[in-house]
Amino acid sequence: MLAYTFRRLLITIPTLLVVIGIVYILLFSAPGGPFDSERVVPEAIQAQLMSKYHLDLPYWKQYLLYIGQLLQGDLGVSYRYADWSVNELVSGALPVSLAIGGLSIVLSLLIGILMGALAALFRNSLVDYLVMALGSLGSVLPSFVLGPLLVLAFAIGLQWLPSGGWDHFSWPFMVLPVSLLTLINVSTLARIMRASLVEVMNSNYIRTARAKGLPIRLIVFRHALRPSLLPVVTILGPLAVSSITSALVTESIFSIPGLGILVVNGAANRDYTLVLGLVVLITAMVVLVNLCVDLIYAFLDPRSRA
Amino acid sequence: MPSSTLAAEPERSPWRDAMQRFRRNKAAVTSLVFLILITLVCVIGPWLLPHAYDSTDWDALKLPPALTHSHWWGTDESGRDLLVRCLMGGRISLMVGILTTLTSIALGVVWGACAGYIGGAVDQVMMRIVDIMYAVPYLLIAILLVTVLGRDFYLVVLAITAFSWMDTARLVRGQTLSLRQMEFIEAARAMGVSTPRIVFEHIVPNLLGLVLVYATVTVPSVILTESVLSFLGLGIQEPMTSWGVLIHDGAQMLDSAAWLLIFPALMLSLTLYSFNYLGDGLRDALDPKDR
Amino acid sequence: MRSIQHTFLAASLVGALALSSLFTWAATVPAGVQLHAEQTLTRNNGAEPETLDPSLIESVGAANLTRDLFEGLTAIDAQGKIVPGVAEKWRQVDPLTWTFQLRPQAKWQNGDPVTAQDFVYAFRRLVEPKTGSKYARTFGDFFLNGKEVSTGQKPPQELGVRAIDKTTLEIKTSHPVKFLPELVSNPNLSPLHAASIEKLGREWTKPGNLMGNGAYALKSWQVNSKIVLEKSAGYWDADQVKITRVTYLPVEDGHVDVKLFESGQNDWVYMLPPGSYDAYLKKYPKDTRNTPLLALRFYSIQTQSPFFKDVRVRQALSMVLDRDILAQKVTADGQLPAYGLIVKGVEGADRVDYEWANWPMAKKVETAKALMAQAGVKPGAKFTFSYNTSEYHKKMAIFAASEWKTKLGLAVELEAMEFKVLIKKRHDGQFEMARDGWNADYNDATTFVALVKCDSDQNHSRHCNKDAEQLIQKGLKESDQTKRKAALNEAIRLIMNDYPIIPLLQYSLPRLVKSYVGGYNTENQMDRFRSQDLYIIKH
Repeated sequence: MLAYTFRRLLITIPTLLVVIGIVYILLFSAPGGPFDSERVVPEAIQAQLMSKYHLDLPYWKQYLLYIGQLLQGDLGVSYRYADWSVNELVSGALPVSLAIGGLSIVLSLLIGILMGALAALFRNSLVDYLVMALGSLGSVLPSFVLGPLLVLAFAIGLQWLPSGGWDHFSWPFMVLPVSLLTLINVSTLARIMRASLVEVMNSNYIRTARAKGLPIRLIVFRHALRPSLLPVVTILGPLAVSSITSALVTESIFSIPGLGILVVNGAANRDYTLVLGLVVLITAMVVLVNLCVDLIYAFLDPRSRA
Repeated sequence: MPSSTLAAEPERSPWRDAMQRFRRNKAAVTSLVFLILITLVCVIGPWLLPHAYDSTDWDALKLPPALTHSHWWGTDESGRDLLVRCLMGGRISLMVGILTTLTSIALGVVWGACAGYIGGAVDQVMMRIVDIMYAVPYLLIAILLVTVLGRDFYLVVLAITAFSWMDTARLVRGQTLSLRQMEFIEAARAMGVSTPRIVFEHIVPNLLGLVLVYATVTVPSVILTESVLSFLGLGIQEPMTSWGVLIHDGAQMLDSAAWLLIFPALMLSLTLYSFNYLGDGLRDALDPKDR
Repeated sequence: MRSIQHTFLAASLVGALALSSLFTWAATVPAGVQLHAEQTLTRNNGAEPETLDPSLIESVGAANLTRDLFEGLTAIDAQGKIVPGVAEKWRQVDPLTWTFQLRPQAKWQNGDPVTAQDFVYAFRRLVEPKTGSKYARTFGDFFLNGKEVSTGQKPPQELGVRAIDKTTLEIKTSHPVKFLPELVSNPNLSPLHAASIEKLGREWTKPGNLMGNGAYALKSWQVNSKIVLEKSAGYWDADQVKITRVTYLPVEDGHVDVKLFESGQNDWVYMLPPGSYDAYLKKYPKDTRNTPLLALRFYSIQTQSPFFKDVRVRQALSMVLDRDILAQKVTADGQLPAYGLIVKGVEGADRVDYEWANWPMAKKVETAKALMAQAGVKPGAKFTFSYNTSEYHKKMAIFAASEWKTKLGLAVELEAMEFKVLIKKRHDGQFEMARDGWNADYNDATTFVALVKCDSDQNHSRHCNKDAEQLIQKGLKESDQTKRKAALNEAIRLIMNDYPIIPLLQYSLPRLVKSYVGGYNTENQMDRFRSQDLYIIKH
């Protein structure tokens, strides 16, 4: 297990280099550059800006320069947020996104598993239909509809909560964005859980156990739950990463200074360094989270260990 | 027993079993009927309605729905009939939703099953490619595809497929890892069945249930991704529309013209719910162990 | 700025030399108005600022912030009028030379006096290529040698600005600029504390570092969350500054902005979402404000493209667009139809409409159809219209396309794209017709003329009228304001008759501002409000 983990971590480096390379190509192929603006920049100034940001060098040189800086932990300066370094921007936004995304994933996991299990165990009954109808709400209505509805109901109608904004992790500002993300994530997790548990409950060894007369509670918790969690765990990885790094709609509806806004503004403004810096972060997260998930998977299912 | 009685008994094929099980699931049947109906309405409806989806009427802006005038579902802020736009939008959303889901699921299944079954270095490389695809921001891929290839409808499908197949791949790989150790697979290997045959004839069919359910999770996310892309100018262009675009625009008008949100949102959610129940029903029906 | 008012102002300033220190130009609270106990304001700025470095700012939001953090030679008050800033008085010595007398009480936050050299340093920094400011030419061209310095042909020391002594600044312009006092009120032309910048480099704009001379200091800055400014005790007019703390929000989405307003977290919406003006006017009659701006919405036509080579085609398309419906029904937020280059309130040239502006639509359509026929364009002909994705532009584009389809039978292909892509296409001429707009940088007709004059970087239509160009050059050299205006008027008339652009509407700024925010008014046509000119009424 340790050797496997170490090997996976080692592969992170080539993965990172490849991702940075791909994103570099994508950024430079996209039409428009960071200095394109309505007020046209005179030639002399354009040249000055290009050399200040090393954009006048050949692409491979820029790539190497970037990697060199990266090794020293320097993600460079942002174009769009010119007074800030990418390190500062990312380290400001990361805790916020971690808090909101992380909390919502934990909640979605618990609620999703519960709902999916209930629906599976009471399959095709009213409980199943109702639970699934409720659970799927987050996927049939887009977040840019659910979000404003939540705001209308709780912030403007009932005036229980602020309609948006952020104040140093104070909890009233976290309730609605976490709720929105949870609603959305629950729909995926609940459905997978339900399908998975149904399959497991139909498998031979479970049916044998039932035939043997074992109480249903014992069967579910001791034998059925573990294997049924496998697909849920598999999906959890990407879901967690995207809740933290791509919660753009949630962040813009509730004015949360998170990573999602940085990613979109970076791409829209062709902010090369910001996008690359975020990509480095996201890649690291993807690799780490997927590794953790795979380890948990191996723990839950001994058969899958190669 | 007379021989005629014996001869009259029909063959019990697994497909017939599945059909029977499916028919018993009322929610699934209702959903299938609904989906067929809505597809027909979206395809045929616009030809039968009096208004074109792009004809503006500057004297009939933001009309509320009523049966008294010709705009039964009301009009939008450019005076265009909402009903016909919902139907046209349905064409796009259904097409994008189904096509994109099919391609991304197909790609994901093949990728994940191969990676999971073959294992070793091949598995590592294939799954690292999956990691890479997760890490690259999809917005950039979409921008590049639109720039290089243009704005054809099929490119929207391509763009969305490009970043939707990974979840399925991971799911399928996980399941494959578990299935790989099972006796019937070992038996097939022992008999000398080739790897592709094992993957496609033994592994994939056993995954189908979960994959089907995940497909129904993919459809809504694909439809909504299409609306985000269109909003950013990377998808379908005005005056063409989709449910996602209609809902996005309608959400802006919630205070003044709520029907612009309610009707398309209703159509979308009913359709997606139907896909859900259909998926669950199919999964239940096709599961050989389900009695 | 009307010349009569300016003369009066200059005269009263000269005459009141001894009393100048008693004249305060910050918040004048009308008699009888009671102030709220807590004088704090939260206002939305429309977007996260790109920087707080005055030499580098480009956006309206960044300008709002730097207007509070720094003070230039002059300033704009809440009514949009020029008031003294660091400079107590100024005069035009000859057509190309001005002197500004700085007040000795003006101080930087750390107590250092603000000197003429601070302005010299700042202006040079703005214009020299090394800094990389996008506004180098916009303001630099007005100074002597400004153009040459910004293109790197001359060193910054040659820029037409020098410190005669600690409190006297001399500015030499490249051509007569009557509105220089208004020009220097721009935040890009704020003074800079050289020592701080040299010492701190890139970090000089961070909270705790930023050395300003304005009414407020930078307390905290959380990117994409909020920026907080607090009253600066050392500001020379601090007694008149009522608001003690201003919080700037960076919300881009109009709907989110309004929701924050409705839940009490925001006093000042940046701009209402499109199409909502009437509804909010009914819902919040006292809070809804609408100011016509010195800005023009128009469509740029690529006059070199095959479809639009013929001026008759361009004229026909401009004629049939019903701007009344566009203003009243499509955009429905109090904008004024525009039938010319110059909008209401712009100084230096007259607002002139096309002669067909008031014809009945039927006549316009008939004439247009005839023009199209003469030009040989048949119904069914197709062209592409490019715009950047936004609710607003989309609605207008749909309307325009439907007008041209129903009235002239043209098939218009709508093409939405990201803003950056549109900018590039416009600059490269890779379009047939594109959505466009322009906000005045200063109140003079020349800021709009730049859109249509020959070899101007802002001229997307690639149209050049040589006769008009000559008139413009002549006008710019004029000291006599009447002659200057006449020359510019004629030049504009000549250009507009070539139909390089289709003027549509004069921008207006519909927003919600709580009725207890005193000092807000709709005469300020460039939307430049210093927080020190505002106050919170008891509520």
